[in-house]
Amino acid sequence: MPRFVRSEVEMEGRFEEVWTLVDEDDDLEPWPDDPELALVGRPAPREDGLVRATGQARYTVDVVLPGMLHAAVLRSPRAHGRVVGLDLDAARKLPGVRAVMGPDTKLSLATDEPLLAGEPAYAGEAIAVLAADTPSQAAAAVATLDLELEALPHVVDRDDALNEQRFALEPTEEVRGDVDAALAAADVRIELELETPDHLQTPLEPHAAVASWEGGRLTAWIATQGMFSARDELAEAFGLPKAHVRVVTEFVGGGFGSKQGAGTEALLAAELARVTGRPVRLVNDRHAEQLDGGRRAWTRQSVRLGADRDGTLVAVDADAVVDQGRGGWVPPVLVPALALYRCEHARALVFPLQTNRRTQNAFRAPGVVEGTACFEQAVDELALALGLDPIELRTRNHVDVDQSSGMRYSSKRLLECYERAAELAGWADRERLREPQPDGLLRGLGCASQFWWGGGGPPSHATVRLDADARALVVTGIQDIGTGTFTTARIVAAEELGIPLPQVHVVGGDTAREVYGPVAGGSMTTPSVMPAVRSAAGRVRRALLQLAGDVLEIAPGDLVVGDGRIRSRDGAVDIPVTEVTGKLGDATIDGSGSRGPNPPGSRINTFGCQIAQVAVDPGLGDVIVERVVAVHDVGRVVNPLGASSQVEGGVIQGIAFALSEELVVDPTTGVPVNATLDDYKVPTIADTPEIVCDFVGVPDPGNPHVGAKGLGEPPIIPTAAAIANAFAHATGRRARALPLTRARVLEALR
Amino acid sequence: VQISLDVNGERYELEARADLRLLDLLRDELGLLGTKLACGEGACGACAVLLDGRAVPSCILLAAAADGHAVTTIEGIGRDRPTALQEAFVAEDALQCGFCTPGQIVTATALLARKGAPTREEIRAAMSGNLCRCGAYPKIERAILRAAGGGG
Repeated sequence: MPRFVRSEVEMEGRFEEVWTLVDEDDDLEPWPDDPELALVGRPAPREDGLVRATGQARYTVDVVLPGMLHAAVLRSPRAHGRVVGLDLDAARKLPGVRAVMGPDTKLSLATDEPLLAGEPAYAGEAIAVLAADTPSQAAAAVATLDLELEALPHVVDRDDALNEQRFALEPTEEVRGDVDAALAAADVRIELELETPDHLQTPLEPHAAVASWEGGRLTAWIATQGMFSARDELAEAFGLPKAHVRVVTEFVGGGFGSKQGAGTEALLAAELARVTGRPVRLVNDRHAEQLDGGRRAWTRQSVRLGADRDGTLVAVDADAVVDQGRGGWVPPVLVPALALYRCEHARALVFPLQTNRRTQNAFRAPGVVEGTACFEQAVDELALALGLDPIELRTRNHVDVDQSSGMRYSSKRLLECYERAAELAGWADRERLREPQPDGLLRGLGCASQFWWGGGGPPSHATVRLDADARALVVTGIQDIGTGTFTTARIVAAEELGIPLPQVHVVGGDTAREVYGPVAGGSMTTPSVMPAVRSAAGRVRRALLQLAGDVLEIAPGDLVVGDGRIRSRDGAVDIPVTEVTGKLGDATIDGSGSRGPNPPGSRINTFGCQIAQVAVDPGLGDVIVERVVAVHDVGRVVNPLGASSQVEGGVIQGIAFALSEELVVDPTTGVPVNATLDDYKVPTIADTPEIVCDFVGVPDPGNPHVGAKGLGEPPIIPTAAAIANAFAHATGRRARALPLTRARVLEALR
Repeated sequence: VQISLDVNGERYELEARADLRLLDLLRDELGLLGTKLACGEGACGACAVLLDGRAVPSCILLAAAADGHAVTTIEGIGRDRPTALQEAFVAEDALQCGFCTPGQIVTATALLARKGAPTREEIRAAMSGNLCRCGAYPKIERAILRAAGGGG
């Protein structure tokens, strides 16, 4: 029987107590180490790889419905203004235009924030939306809206915002111990200040939605990382039962945190579809996506560290100014400062600024990327001041306890990460890199540690169905934004069922199946969903053996299944699974599974170490990343092939955060000047260094059934700090801000 | 304007607006949805198609400019069975979200047609106009090398 349990769940370090529904307890044995398993821990290509490689994958932007209208959005050309003129009627008169809505239009849906702004507070904020028969009619109609925007004063300069004390939320302080006294008493003190840039997620498929109503029920195809939260949001906004809203999210062209819930795209598309009685597609164009798709918040941080002569960290004092835009939630920028190393006295002060920029939102490891970039540079400065090897300093301050809760980590194999990364990177010879080079470049090696959550938790469900051909269908509630999560589920199910990988098919991406899965975020899909998948597959396996026992007249406990065959433990019976399942006819063996709570009293976190080698051209100011070694502790690695792809992708995004990506805003107008792919410098294949990736790979005992932790976020976290530390190793200098553009590098070298 | 062109080996005679982009002709008129729009300014390569065998961005090419030419889209590559390149992309996991993948395959197909066995440097030069936000680059490089090495 299912039951309710009360347990603590975590999302990106935010903890909350919730009731969760779990099935009866599983009696699954923990899996042994990978070598004893048939499929888990062995590289497997994606099941849907060929669909993607042949152009058959259908994304939200590819959905075409009969009679579908095309939406276009009018966006604010200024950072702040008041709409004083808007000619909706002019657009309504144009051929093909079916609906036009502005800030004063009465909408049928309820949202916390207005979807169409009468007083836009950032450049790119939506003011009006319309739908027309063709995309070109829609675009032409937007041009006739004749927007008159009275300019209002804007603040995009952070110093101005600070001087005016414009806070989006109350500043916060987290303290343990007596920081001032500990700093004053420390043998060695250092201080470091750093700015990190506005960083755009830039998924190549922009935010998009298609909405269609039929008989009072809404179906929405949405490019989202969370189809269930999208469904709930739409149901609430339109006052519908959840069962009357279906969200389909089959393929998503990247999200990186930016595609949460329904988004304004789906809400507006659904409203336009309701009003016109026709399906409506709304797709951001690239400029809109770069203006309004999302943003990692700019920060200015300062860190003061104090240590004893022997390298014991005695005080951490950190503060961060975070540009929230209008508001939103505050990213955990100073968590690395509070959590990475043992330190009795620590203080973190956060000032959430309000400016006329788009509200910050999630971008792969929000806050922790920025915080690690600054804090881990400060740790290197401390190592320099102490005359200690940077890895040695980190090792000496290792901590096995979450210092904010006092709980132990369920596993923490960071020391092994240091050791392995140092070995792979040739850390012992790092000083030799600094000898004069024939190419005239300055070389250096730098490291940084990684801290993130990624333990996952309930709720999460899965259903497994085995048919007469011994083919299994795994139904999940997840959406694959590119991480290969379906393939991970396929491996887990095939392993537990004891059938070959090609016989397992995993589906997700459709709320109509009513099997719940979490948002693809916070590095929680693998640790949340895979235990439920294994649990469901385990039920089917037990039922299969029970049926085999009936057929063979052997006690099910004497039978095992593996590699598509059922065998008796004494070796007397060895038959293909189909000999049993073949008797099912068109019936199936079904099993459902749910994710139970994490064991109480400990914390599940991911850890890692990256080491970067850079070459700096002191004449041009170029920084070339030559090599990145990434070693992470994410528990058991189910699919090493997919896992290495996650690491490479994270490292490449981290390199870009360190070297090239930055949204630039014209202070006079408050308008971004590089909100295009031409000018916003996303890295190319030519910018990609050698990336060496390895995992500790030891299962985490805190993760039920599987022992896996999440991997989406960890690899992007330490990259920028490792690069900046390598830059400092090469040049003896630090830049005051990221990214390390030529201008900043030349200034630092002057 | 009147446009007559060859798409994936089939002949089309169409009447189209003079300002229609080749991309829109392919996606909206012919329903070939594998070609993706991502930037609309020729900066990312997601919309790459082969025009007489050369990879071009279809988002900044007028459909009328393709008049009299042969266009190959991702749907025209490996139609009967996947090419060694497509299989190598899958085997090496040279794709994540897959949105840029059609453009990557199209550009790499043109590269391999031009140079049977490209070096790493040649691959990096030829593919640098195709952005992959997921960062599959190391594996894209390996997949192309693998395909060039005889599909092994």
